[in-house]
Amino acid sequence: MITLENISKQYSKDSTGVDGVSFHIEPGEFVSIVGQSGTGKTTIVKMLIAEERPTNGRISIGGWDITNLRERDIPYLRRQIGVIFQDFKLLDKKTVLENVSFALEVAGESSGRIKKIVPKVLDIVGLGHKLHRYPHQLSGGEQQRVVIARSLVHRPKILVADEPTGNLDAINAHEIIQILKKINEFGTTIMLVTHNREIVNHLKKRVITLHRGRLVSDENKGKYLL
Amino acid sequence: MFNSFFRVIKFAFQDIIRNISLSLMTILILVLMLLSINTLIIIGVLTDQATSVVKEQIDVSIYFDHEATNEQIEEVNNYITQFPEVTSVEFFDTEAVIAQFREQHADNPEILASLDELGENPLGATLVVRTREPLDYQKIIDALRVPEYENIIEAKTFGDTEKAIERIDIITKQVERFTLALSVLFAIIAFLIIFNTIRVAIYTQRTEISIKKLVGATNWFVQGPYLLEAFIFTVVSMIISYGLIFGVFGFLDPYVAVVFQEPEILTNYFNSNIIMLLSTQFGAVLLLTIISSLLAMRKHLRV
Repeated sequence: MITLENISKQYSKDSTGVDGVSFHIEPGEFVSIVGQSGTGKTTIVKMLIAEERPTNGRISIGGWDITNLRERDIPYLRRQIGVIFQDFKLLDKKTVLENVSFALEVAGESSGRIKKIVPKVLDIVGLGHKLHRYPHQLSGGEQQRVVIARSLVHRPKILVADEPTGNLDAINAHEIIQILKKINEFGTTIMLVTHNREIVNHLKKRVITLHRGRLVSDENKGKYLL
Repeated sequence: MFNSFFRVIKFAFQDIIRNISLSLMTILILVLMLLSINTLIIIGVLTDQATSVVKEQIDVSIYFDHEATNEQIEEVNNYITQFPEVTSVEFFDTEAVIAQFREQHADNPEILASLDELGENPLGATLVVRTREPLDYQKIIDALRVPEYENIIEAKTFGDTEKAIERIDIITKQVERFTLALSVLFAIIAFLIIFNTIRVAIYTQRTEISIKKLVGATNWFVQGPYLLEAFIFTVVSMIISYGLIFGVFGFLDPYVAVVFQEPEILTNYFNSNIIMLLSTQFGAVLLLTIISSLLAMRKHLRV
């Protein structure tokens, strides 16, 4: 599903994002990418959605080589991967309903289908009663659930969650992880980027550990090592 | 395709309403710029009117010797009329000239008495010549400085008005230069203000732009609403500006009419040039807002 082959990202002479990282994620897997801050986890996420380009190596998603993706093809890649950001990245001037609808609107989905699907997805994440609220009227946990709804609404085969619990308290963080597990049970490949030791150890799923930009371990049912 | 097009329109109107203070500020700046530029146009119209009124009052009078024959005067008349610069030649015979002289000095009995004492009409016929431009008078005067006319032309009054004409010419040229310099200055200021207003407006929405890109929006889908907003701002600011301008004309025109003895000069000028004025100003403002939007967005779209 996701293949990284000897990926490196050099920002400047003295600054390296990732250095020679290779791994493969099978369809339906739940993989945690762990490591301390500044170790290259988010760089990998950014390269997966073509926000950044690798300096060396090759990345492919579902057999599609995205290493040197053309500018005009980037939107199509992003519509196929659901991404959950630590800082939510919700549109402040749009309501919950509009934020989630936007992900379908950019893909040219019909209004009828959007009206049918979006409230259902928001119901699934427990926000069916807050459709017309603005992001600033929601709690952190609720905002993250809107982001999950937005990332799921076009039924992606891959969901990348970059520190989805970073801004949440323990209860909300637990809820978000439960939602991710449920999504994974329905067959979606999950790539969870985190430095939360408890969550990773509790999941008992595959763990890829990065340290100073390098892959130092890749274990099935692994634990947070560092 | 149509779905996306209608969504771009929907988002544009949604953005305008949800960022209403920013939208109003942008429109206000555009209105102020349009009012400034049109004020310059009004100044230009009034200056032109003033100089043409003064120019109309200038003429050159050719006084003939009282012994000059009608044939000789006719010859001079035909000679002058053939100059393309000449717009009119008015002939006053000796009777008309003396009548005019008496009328002018009606309140001076001494002059009239000495005229009566002479017994005969001492004044010759006169030709009053008008040209397109004040500077053309010199050309006419030079043309008349030929030996065959020397004996029949007694005097030419151009000498008296020469300085005034030169002065008007200098003033007109200075005003034209000043207006042009002011227009260029205004255009530069307007460009900088609009560019920065739109840049700030887009800068405040840079996070939104990057989020839209991250959820899979194409550049066109992100830019579309902003470009449409630029179009809407241009239309609204043009309507407000021209509404204000014509409103002010209703107040100004009566005063201008008193000065120039001509009604609704400003309204008539704008009415007769409305298509040119609207199209150039609309085109310039739209181009400016769209270029500013595209330049300001370019950086934020690289996500």
